[in-house]
Amino acid sequence: MIEVSELTKRFGKTLAVDDLSFRVEPGAITGFLGPNGAGKSTTLRSILALVHPDRGRTTVLGVPYRELDRPLHRVGAVLEASDVHPGRSGRNHLRALAAAAGLPRSRVEEVLALVELTGAARRRAGGYSLGMRQRLGLASALLGDPEVLVLDEPANGLDPQGIRWLRDFLRSLAGEGRTILVSSHVLAEVAQTVDRVVIIHRGKLIRHATMAEVEAMAAGATRVRSPDYARLAEALAAAGIEARRSGDGALAADATPERVGELAAAEGIVLHELTSERATLEEVFLELTGEPGERGT
Amino acid sequence: MTALLAAELLKVRTVRSTWGYVLAVLGLAALVTAATIGSESDQRRSEASFQGDLLLDGSAPATVVALLLGIVLVTNEFRHGTITPSLLVTPRRNRLLTAKLLAGAAAGAALAAIAIAVIAATAAIWLGILDVPLELGTAAKAAGRGLVAAAVAGVLGAAVGGAVHAQVAALVGALVWIFVAEPLVWVLLGLLDVGGAADYAPTAVLFTIAGTEEDALSFPAAVGMTLVWAAVAAAIAFFRTGRRDIT
Repeated sequence: MIEVSELTKRFGKTLAVDDLSFRVEPGAITGFLGPNGAGKSTTLRSILALVHPDRGRTTVLGVPYRELDRPLHRVGAVLEASDVHPGRSGRNHLRALAAAAGLPRSRVEEVLALVELTGAARRRAGGYSLGMRQRLGLASALLGDPEVLVLDEPANGLDPQGIRWLRDFLRSLAGEGRTILVSSHVLAEVAQTVDRVVIIHRGKLIRHATMAEVEAMAAGATRVRSPDYARLAEALAAAGIEARRSGDGALAADATPERVGELAAAEGIVLHELTSERATLEEVFLELTGEPGERGT
Repeated sequence: MTALLAAELLKVRTVRSTWGYVLAVLGLAALVTAATIGSESDQRRSEASFQGDLLLDGSAPATVVALLLGIVLVTNEFRHGTITPSLLVTPRRNRLLTAKLLAGAAAGAALAAIAIAVIAATAAIWLGILDVPLELGTAAKAAGRGLVAAAVAGVLGAAVGGAVHAQVAALVGALVWIFVAEPLVWVLLGLLDVGGAADYAPTAVLFTIAGTEEDALSFPAAVGMTLVWAAVAAAIAFFRTGRRDIT
């Protein structure tokens, strides 16, 4: 559906994308993740023929974007919420795009209603909040009722209510069978929305996985504390579970809390603590990108 | 291309700055017309050529404004980032630029038409009061020149905008060229005893079409030469816009 092959792009001395290859499967929401400056926007703009790659190739629906017939009917994209003339009304912004794509004016009203922007459609876009501009961007992407959507950080600047609206909106669009590629620099932000993730860092592919696989990476040890430490360690060893003693006298066992708890109960061992040391998705993300100091970037 | 042209004209109509240009043309046309009629003698006002000159002089500002509007028509896209959604709809950049060049011509002609309407209305009333008969043939010929000049200026402006991209640089550069640099070039060429070459300079040929430049090229030659300048600017515009990364 969307294919990136050996994409390389350099801006002056900066290598923005470095031999990047991945494939976005049809009919799913794919999260395109990486810290700020990882090369996400450059990759998306290369896919959409806005940036000329130095090497490699990108295709959408089997052909380079530039060669798509009636592209707005096939692919919708939101790249920057500010890509609108501040003196033009939201409705006229959409009307100009619709006119260029040969779409009727009635379609403009439909997408305005879809993103709940009809009430503000006559106002100049310069007076819109960031959330309203994001919605206007989504409306423009949906004008041609495309089967593929490419969204660059659509949650940027949105308040929690806006993020929730966006998440529900993307889910409803995916439910209609559309393919969605949505970029973000915060894994937790898209974790509930995406089916798969493509994680890049410094222009290179770090991981291409399903969300379930990423969540499995978050699974960690179980912290268990007991007044009968010696028996507990013995029972765990007998069950083939590796355990390490931590500084405060607890044990870190490589098993689920359920397994450790059941074992202790079966042996009649009193437990004072049984907690999961599961990493957060953000920690997994930061570990994958190898920059623990850059939380949230 | 029809849909693209319609979209470009819609973009032009739906920003307030365009109406600022229209108001400027309206005001300048009315001012120049009133000043010209008021300052000429009764004998001059009764001459047939006067009405033609009146239209040419009155619509000349529309030619300059059309050039500026053509520049804005393209550079607005880069200034406000709307080039991104525009190219998403029309990824073949040459098609988008071609539509903008055509929109520049249409917008320029529309500006000139507005100016001509104001001049005609003002002149008809004033000359009617003075009991001077209207020379429609002469006026129509002058109006035609004004329309062509503004249309070609719109194309040239859009081409310059496509070549430069930066709005302020393109607008200031165009005004400096028209009012400072090219007149200096004329003087320089005169000093070098090749003053005739100045007739082929961009502003000179544009105002030859508009009929405000004396002893210059013929009308068809001036139109052809202006289109050559527009083609040069358009070639740079196609090259630069085609290669530019939209980031």
